[in-house]
Amino acid sequence: MLEINNLHVAVGGKEILKGLSLSIAAGEVHAIMGPNGSGKSTLSYVLAGREGYEITSGTIRYRSEDLTAMAPEERAANGVFLAMQYPVEIPGVTTMNFLKTALNAQRRARGDKEVDALGVLRLVREKAKALHISEDMLKRALNVGFSGGEKKRLEILQMALFEPTLAILDETDSGLDIDALKVVADGVNALRSPERAMLVITHYQRLLTYIVPNRVHVLSAGRIIKEGGKELAHELEAKGYAQIVKDAA
Amino acid sequence: MTALVLPNRRVEDWKYTDLRNAIEPAAVASAGTAAWKVSLSGAVEQTALPEIMPRSHHGAMAELAVAHAKSGVFLRVGKGEQGTAHLELAQAGHGRALIVVEDGASLTLRETSAAEDFSNIAFDIVLGNDARLEHVREAPRNDAVRVCDYSIRSAERGSYRAHLANFGAKLSRTELHIALEGEGAQAHLSGVSVLGDGGHADVTTRITHAVGNTQSTQLFKLIAGGKSRGVYQGKISVAEGANGSDSRQTAKGLLLGERAEIDLKPELEILADDVKCAHGAAVGDLDPESLFYLRSRGVPEGDARALLMRAFLEDAVAEIADEGIRADVWARVEAALKELSA
Repeated sequence: MLEINNLHVAVGGKEILKGLSLSIAAGEVHAIMGPNGSGKSTLSYVLAGREGYEITSGTIRYRSEDLTAMAPEERAANGVFLAMQYPVEIPGVTTMNFLKTALNAQRRARGDKEVDALGVLRLVREKAKALHISEDMLKRALNVGFSGGEKKRLEILQMALFEPTLAILDETDSGLDIDALKVVADGVNALRSPERAMLVITHYQRLLTYIVPNRVHVLSAGRIIKEGGKELAHELEAKGYAQIVKDAA
Repeated sequence: MTALVLPNRRVEDWKYTDLRNAIEPAAVASAGTAAWKVSLSGAVEQTALPEIMPRSHHGAMAELAVAHAKSGVFLRVGKGEQGTAHLELAQAGHGRALIVVEDGASLTLRETSAAEDFSNIAFDIVLGNDARLEHVREAPRNDAVRVCDYSIRSAERGSYRAHLANFGAKLSRTELHIALEGEGAQAHLSGVSVLGDGGHADVTTRITHAVGNTQSTQLFKLIAGGKSRGVYQGKISVAEGANGSDSRQTAKGLLLGERAEIDLKPELEILADDVKCAHGAAVGDLDPESLFYLRSRGVPEGDARALLMRAFLEDAVAEIADEGIRADVWARVEAALKELSA
């Protein structure tokens, strides 16, 4: 599904990712753990196609295609979804209108029939319920005045609505209390499927108690320095990053 | 015979709008009389202009309009009555209009324009006690040279709401001179200017809080793309003794590209003690974070830009109370944005 090979990425002339390689098959959930500044968010933005991230060498192939050749909107239409660490507030655009616009833009790009307003409303309501997203939230301007937990839940709602093939969750656990974390994790787990791959990026092991990964990668200074099964997350929690980095050196 | 000198950038008030560059003085002097297509409903009476007009404060060009216009429109809504009026400028030239909304009466006034060429209109608007006027002006995109000068006076508790939707002309200057002369009088102004290549729109407002407990709000949003220029100048004066006055003024600009220009100039002149005045002005670009967020959710770049521009204008257009007119303004805005984000 996703194959990253020897990826080097620079931001503002400074190299952040220094030869990252990673491969995720359909049906798998991988976790990337790493300390602050290790390049976690850079990786998520590069995958989503944000401007200002220069790929100096290496390749990213998604379903055997060159992902880097696609504009952000093409990636979305092709099933790539990034749940952002800091979802953007957009005054003047209601959440519901945004969801309808985005869903239909993706469908249009894929040559699928658009869903009418009522159809979108029905779809959104059904998925919103499980994520404890109120009708009122959907009427408000996108993310404006939402709490941290509300913003994260709305990201997961979008993931459920767009049904991506590759979902990247960037620090979805940050700023969540334990109850909100469980709601978000349940939402993510409900979307696990044999056709879908997920990349869960996190600083802490906590989230991985609820979203159990098939594989854990430790990112440090722009490179994967250690890989293992789900138990690696517990080892990290027990030993701390410094020790793991030292062991790997 | 002395040559006619048109307002130009050497005059502080016309710093951003040089009429001399847009039209020859001879063309101004020889312009005919403007004419409107008038559609009325409810209790609106239309007659010829009265011999004696209200004495009001106007800008520099209004004098020429008064001197040259041979006829004009006079609309009146009698005490406690209600009505709507649609004025469509059908023929360019110098023009005069008088709108009187008597005590307790209300009027919805919509202005559109089908005239290109040069027009110079002086409006006098008088609101009685407890009178209400909802005024919306839609100025379409064309190559006209348009000067329009409104003088508005309100008695006690009168309410004047105006929305100016500008889509750019060769030159467009709209002046609003508002005098809140009775206690409790209010003026609520809003507007959007959506300007594509070659477009110009200048909105200049002068609000005088002549007595206490008067209120004014202003919310203007400007988008300038291509080589265009959007101007907002707003001066609020609070007279001595006009205590308890409350005025708010917000103007924001969105610049698309390096050849566009937006000039925002809010001014306050406060001679009273106990007043609330707040103003803010800012010019920026579309937020790249918002743009990326929308694109990452599948919205194509052009659509994402249009969506963000629409969102930027949202609160100003929402000020239009009449649902039908608001929908019409949105349709014009959408069309203009489509061109800008293409």
